[in-house]
Amino acid sequence: MGGLTFYLVSYDIKDEKRLRNVHRIMREFGVRLHYSVFRCDLTKQGKMILISKLEEVINHDADRIMIVDLGPSRQYDEMKIEFIGQKPEENYVNSIIV
Amino acid sequence: MVNEYVYCPRLCYIEWVQGEFKDSADTVEGRLGHKRVDRPGTSVQEDAMDGTVIHSRSVTIGSTNLGAIAKIDLLEIEGEVATPVDYKKGKMPDNEFNAYLPEMVQLCVQGLLLIENGFKTTGGVIYYIASKKRVTISFTKELIDKTKEALASMKNMIDEDRPPPPLVDSPRCYGCSLASICLPDETNAMKGVGEEIRRLYPSRDDQTPIYVIGEGHSIRKSEGRIEIWKEGEMVADRPLNDISQLSVYGSANITIPAMVELMGRGVPIGFFSHSGWFNGYAIGTFNKNIGLRMAQFKTGFDGTLSNNIAKMMIYGKIKNCRTLLRRNDKECPSESLETLDLLAERCLESKDNNSLLGIEGAAAQIYFSRFNNMLKSNCPFDFNERNKRPAGDPVNAALSYSYGMLVKDVFNCLLLVGFDPYFGVYHRPKHGKPALALDLMEEFRPIIADSIVMTAFNNGELKESDFIITKIGTSFSQNGKKKLIAAYERRINTEVTHPVFGYTVSYRRIIEVQARLLGRAMTREIDSYQPFLTR
Repeated sequence: MGGLTFYLVSYDIKDEKRLRNVHRIMREFGVRLHYSVFRCDLTKQGKMILISKLEEVINHDADRIMIVDLGPSRQYDEMKIEFIGQKPEENYVNSIIV
Repeated sequence: MVNEYVYCPRLCYIEWVQGEFKDSADTVEGRLGHKRVDRPGTSVQEDAMDGTVIHSRSVTIGSTNLGAIAKIDLLEIEGEVATPVDYKKGKMPDNEFNAYLPEMVQLCVQGLLLIENGFKTTGGVIYYIASKKRVTISFTKELIDKTKEALASMKNMIDEDRPPPPLVDSPRCYGCSLASICLPDETNAMKGVGEEIRRLYPSRDDQTPIYVIGEGHSIRKSEGRIEIWKEGEMVADRPLNDISQLSVYGSANITIPAMVELMGRGVPIGFFSHSGWFNGYAIGTFNKNIGLRMAQFKTGFDGTLSNNIAKMMIYGKIKNCRTLLRRNDKECPSESLETLDLLAERCLESKDNNSLLGIEGAAAQIYFSRFNNMLKSNCPFDFNERNKRPAGDPVNAALSYSYGMLVKDVFNCLLLVGFDPYFGVYHRPKHGKPALALDLMEEFRPIIADSIVMTAFNNGELKESDFIITKIGTSFSQNGKKKLIAAYERRINTEVTHPVFGYTVSYRRIIEVQARLLGRAMTREIDSYQPFLTR
């Protein structure tokens, strides 16, 4: 077992430019599940770095980011999240071989 | 650094003398907490006046007399009295001083420096960011004595060519970001100190390796991700944060921004030929632990020292070959197994690497003569003898290809630990061979590479259609390569119980641990190198 935790990160950003910045940072750390909802599987330090990067770009008086801790990664995922309708593409793999 | 020294002298040595550093959640958080106080500025400047008190941030102060410099987070000056304030990310501890000793000593160094520079300083302040509390620490004679003692013994330590021993069974190791480099319990166990061995780091890599095999791919960076494109279509992408290594087989394109980004993150990029030949690496800056490389070269030049390590590696290889045969070749005559055991024992008695070569050759002959018996009858191929360049049959082609992958991972690991992979203790440094990688790989050849080849043929994963067989040799089809790489990745991520340390970790981690222990044997911190033996 690795040391990753499953975090669900969602954001409300009031300004277009900041939104792009937040989106760029989120893509560096995770996979998009919805518009402005990402799944990130991170170590504790990965989470710290993500938070510090986000803190630098958002306006603390206008924007809001929510981080939900869903426990150890890839364990009981189907009990933690259900989808109705279109499921996002599951691209979790141990290695990428193309 | 005094703080680290008082916390653990070995930590201080590894960070300061060997130049190793690794982030943990704590160190990242500490740095972020400091962002708010730190700002450029090297001498006292007026940042804010509060009545008659001058507040100055990030003040660097030094003294040749004390032989120390310090960066003071915040300096409060009132007339002749200066008070250093140190910011700590955590909560205020609930003890007699409301502070930990390493932090008090660190603050006291700042105080001594201020006194040296003509201020009147009798105490300092620690500010706990999480508790939002200021704690005043007075510089008592007792604390000053401890501090001066720490400074003096630290100077002695720096002159040593070996790090101080690890702490024994200390709870401090749990929070230490360098535990996986220091290997406190493993090192102690090798020295016969300490009882229980705790696994102080994650059991496996959480990041993903990327292999690009096909023709005409291009690898780019886009918005925090690495994307792989082919014929105008994106075929794979991955957050930069998730990537552990990139291996490029054949002729893919990679953009400079993608390359620079990966280098900056310390992600190695390996380049291989179509047939899996390891051409080279693009890496970021080199590991700073020059002391290790000096010990490596010293060992390599000394016939006896290198033989001491080489014979353990070949011993490990033969033992592991024997285990693989015993498990998978049901009809293996017991004489063969006994001879392998005998040869392994003879390794330990060998006095030089030449005799070792003979023993290894004899063992390989027995082992490969039985290799075909480990392939099940449903496997459409036969294995008669080990051959390469070109491989004569699919089994040989698969063996060569997986050795190539294993060399890559061992090479990777050696660079990470700080070795020069081209100078070994057994393989000769010739023909551009990564000699040390080939050395360390010996004990892993049977249990990783041979094992996946055998399994891939036995469970029908590799078929005739995965190979291109001609009169002059056999090579893989693209599809075949991908299957073998997938099998390799499965194997190397498999978690196994370490026979000596007793905890469960992936093979990839075990290679790293072995590489670090090899370093310990070369710096003579432990007496001998112990190979990884499977049961």
